[in-house]
Amino acid sequence: MKHFDFDIIVVGGGHAGVEAALAGSRMGKKVALVSMDRTKLALMSCNPAIGGLGKSQIVKEIDALGGLMGRAIDATGIQFRKLNLSRGPAVWSTRAQADRIGYNEFVCRFVEADQNITIIEGTAGAFLTEGDKIAGIELESEERIFAPAVIVCSGTFLGGLIHIGQKQIPAGRRGEKGAYKLSESFRALGFEIGRLKTGTPPRLDGRTIDYSRCEEQPGEIPVPFFSYATEGREFNQVPCHLTYTTDKTKGIILRNLLLSPMFSGQIKSRGPRYCPSIEDKIYRFADKPRHQIFLEPEGNGTDEVYPNGFSTSLPEDVQYEAIRSVIGLEEAKITKPGYAIEYDYCPAYQIKASLETRRLEGLFLAGQINGTSGYEEAAGQGLMAGINAALKINDQPPLILDRGEAYIGVMIDDLITHSTTEPYRMFTSRAEYRLGLREDNARDRLFSHANKYGLISDDDFGQFEKIRISTDKEISRLRKTSVPVSRLDGLAKHFVKRENVSLAELLKVPGVTPRDIIPYLDSSLESHGSGLEVLERAAIYIRYEGYIKKQEREIEKFRKMEGECIPEEISFESISGLRNEAREKFVRFRPNSLGQASRIEGVTTGDLAVLSIYIKRFGRRADDIKKPE
Amino acid sequence: MITPPGEGGIGAVRIAGPEASAIVEKIFCPAGDEKEPHRPFHMYYGHIMDKRGDVIDEVTLVEMPEGKSYTGQRQAEIFCHGGQFVLRRILREILGYGIRSAEPGEFTRRAFLSGRIDLARAEAVADLIASKTEYAYSTARKNLLGLLTEGVDTIRDKSINLLAEIEASVDYPEEGIEATTKDKMLAELDHIIKEAKRLIDTYRSGKIIKEGFRIAIAGRPNAGKSSLFNLLLNQNRAIVAPIPGTTRDYLTEWIDLEGIAVSITDTAGLRKSSGIIERAGQKSARGILNNSDLILWLIDITRKGWQKEAVKDLKKMPQKIDILLLYNKVDKVKDISKVPLFSGLDATAGMAISCLTKRGLEHLRKELIRRINAGMPDLTDQLVVTSERHKRKLELALKFFKRARIGIGKTLSPELIAFEMRQGINEIDEITGRIYNEEILDRIFSRFCIGK
Repeated sequence: MKHFDFDIIVVGGGHAGVEAALAGSRMGKKVALVSMDRTKLALMSCNPAIGGLGKSQIVKEIDALGGLMGRAIDATGIQFRKLNLSRGPAVWSTRAQADRIGYNEFVCRFVEADQNITIIEGTAGAFLTEGDKIAGIELESEERIFAPAVIVCSGTFLGGLIHIGQKQIPAGRRGEKGAYKLSESFRALGFEIGRLKTGTPPRLDGRTIDYSRCEEQPGEIPVPFFSYATEGREFNQVPCHLTYTTDKTKGIILRNLLLSPMFSGQIKSRGPRYCPSIEDKIYRFADKPRHQIFLEPEGNGTDEVYPNGFSTSLPEDVQYEAIRSVIGLEEAKITKPGYAIEYDYCPAYQIKASLETRRLEGLFLAGQINGTSGYEEAAGQGLMAGINAALKINDQPPLILDRGEAYIGVMIDDLITHSTTEPYRMFTSRAEYRLGLREDNARDRLFSHANKYGLISDDDFGQFEKIRISTDKEISRLRKTSVPVSRLDGLAKHFVKRENVSLAELLKVPGVTPRDIIPYLDSSLESHGSGLEVLERAAIYIRYEGYIKKQEREIEKFRKMEGECIPEEISFESISGLRNEAREKFVRFRPNSLGQASRIEGVTTGDLAVLSIYIKRFGRRADDIKKPE
Repeated sequence: MITPPGEGGIGAVRIAGPEASAIVEKIFCPAGDEKEPHRPFHMYYGHIMDKRGDVIDEVTLVEMPEGKSYTGQRQAEIFCHGGQFVLRRILREILGYGIRSAEPGEFTRRAFLSGRIDLARAEAVADLIASKTEYAYSTARKNLLGLLTEGVDTIRDKSINLLAEIEASVDYPEEGIEATTKDKMLAELDHIIKEAKRLIDTYRSGKIIKEGFRIAIAGRPNAGKSSLFNLLLNQNRAIVAPIPGTTRDYLTEWIDLEGIAVSITDTAGLRKSSGIIERAGQKSARGILNNSDLILWLIDITRKGWQKEAVKDLKKMPQKIDILLLYNKVDKVKDISKVPLFSGLDATAGMAISCLTKRGLEHLRKELIRRINAGMPDLTDQLVVTSERHKRKLELALKFFKRARIGIGKTLSPELIAFEMRQGINEIDEITGRIYNEEILDRIFSRFCIGK
């Protein structure tokens, strides 16, 4: 038996790396967290915010699986809002502005305090292998660390190259050097490595902004926190501001378009369509007279402001000119210029649903290296990689969340069944079963997994069981309790010709909130053993009931297809009658079920029929072989 | 074998699969000094030889490369003399090399599996082969050319556009996307619903085109049903006798009425007292009446009290099916205008005929053609849904689109409207056998300037 220094080595201390290390630790593993700078853990390289559509759901899932992100933002957020409240609860989304430094310091303290985690300052340079298994890493300093599992969360640092106009600076982030050796090690092991691009806006000096010309966006009270564990916190919410570009902005940018490395051809890799640079927006949507810019404060102890929507890689002087053409920013000073950054990633067909690479046993990848963007997406993967690395060491099967139970499951499934054409960001529209994947029920969906693997305390699990039971009780009370229509005032118009309505029916009327029905309860929430949270859970259940039942039938169909396993030893090359395109896709993505195969881009129903027949024949043949003579 | 069994000038054998060329190597001996008879779409003359080297037949042969053949696979076709024995010998020779004979429809199935044609078009192939009339041929041909796919895709395309708008407003609440107004959404959805309905409505004709128009002849025993049956067929198919209950089982025959296949069924007369066999015949007659497009109800006007009987009988007839009353045996009365015709019904609902003298028969034939053609589409360019499966999928999709419409009207939240739209689109995708995934996002990004 080889001597290992650690159980798990996590390379990179960003949002993915931190969750990976913490999850490994929670599962009782000795973790080495390799970071270039131990004071920069979970630093927000781009916008100072957590959450948003699809993303907040991931944060709540991370929280329900014992992760840190939700608690960290709750402790350090300076403004909280709930988006989409006019729509249904499946698409409600919490979004918070972070105190950038406060968040980073909170996470650093938390990780430093973890007895199972050792932070090693350095840069990973190469993988150490033993046969087709990982054995550890070698730092650029030539120091060697041995472990049976390695999780790489390299972010934009892997081969990072910053572009500002024609200027190119090798860096992992503004002012920090990147990692330039590890990609070679990936390639030497036979991995395909590609390039992606992302960008960030310039930062502004808040003291030079004329807020009187912008629209204020205050935070919300009561504060919508992320974590179930957060009890509350006293703080003053800081407002954001909304402003717009002008005709002048358009002129400046169009005049200087060719100075942008995106347009001059200096950058060839793909950037995200959902987060385009300002030059891209103005060029592609030329008929749009103006574009929104959100001015987001970077924290309490700083005057720096993040102009969301103004990502750019134009030369600094053009950035200056363009920024000053925005309403309210006429006198603004840029503290740091915006830039585009290209970095190496590892196309995700090379990993399995557990996030372990196919090529090298024990090597896991999480975050931007898998082609995603966003702190939340990275953290969700980091958490899963941490859990699965620990399970691997225990010789247990991996934890794989499916599309019917978590956004994290949707994300990983998307990654391993699609070719990356741009950095992947979560949207609620990516989740076909989103009515059931809500912020409010993350614990219902994931707590039993978390409990099974020891990711949460028994106490938390027990507490939640109580909430679940009282939710059920509250649901049946709401169904049973009825009120005379005459007592309903304004709502009576929805129930013409009725004498009584149940509170459940009342809750299904668009616009009726749980708070509206409190006056009609037969006894107070407290005396009924519930509370506002329970009432809200019950109300959401009632509101969606019919739809959820329909959706559950669809999930059942989906799971049936997922259950049609494709044996690992199958050789897709030898399936006759398959279209060449389909064969190539199957060989590349190696789907492990018929369901997964069906989601691979470009695969037709015909291809699936061929595959299905082949699997059945294959199964029969396997049976024949197994049969004793 | 791709030609029908029996004798013919030419018989054809198709070999499909990656091994097709290798098999040709083994059994085909090209004439002249041709060495490699594998140039695609090039016709070679030569002989099929058996393993001993004896000539089985002289043939022509053509090979088609992968992706350019009917099945989409590598393919070879052999054209030999059309005798049963010759064909069987050639087949036996080929099967000797471990090749399996194709199951019915397998070549078309392979064409679908290879992605050369979609599901709707594969189904059209079967229709085309089975078509017996001009109408059936014409619609099957159009569906094969992809007309149905096109029509269905129009609905799909509009639905996905609408869905993309809804999704964009859900996923980007802060972007100030010009939220599609309720009126605009309703208008778009109305358009989708109208289009889906239009397609579904064509099914009535589609079914007639594909399965034929079904006419049942019914009435009391000895009203002359079998005589009329024979007259319409122009042959003595059914036994005719002046004894009630002569026809115990039903008889069905097909005729071509101006390009439309029409089935005519002669049923057992309906009456009370009868034997077991006759009763069984009457029971099946009920089923036939329920499944027909038109019932010809025959009345013997020489029979006493036929008016009362008719009132009673017609009450028992299926509600939704057209009935044409025929007053038979008018040759037995001197002046038809003096016969108190059926008073309970509009006189135009009936026609006077005589199976004996053939009076009124030409008139009846014209009336049948008129009724069959009523509501038949103009075949020049209109798309017609002929498959029950397609109609059912369209109906399900329509159900979801209608729910979405009601939802929009009631200001239901958009994620629920999207839920209905997605289900509708899924149903439509099942017609052509297509899957969608990233399409919605692609449309969002191409239509809206978003990105915070």
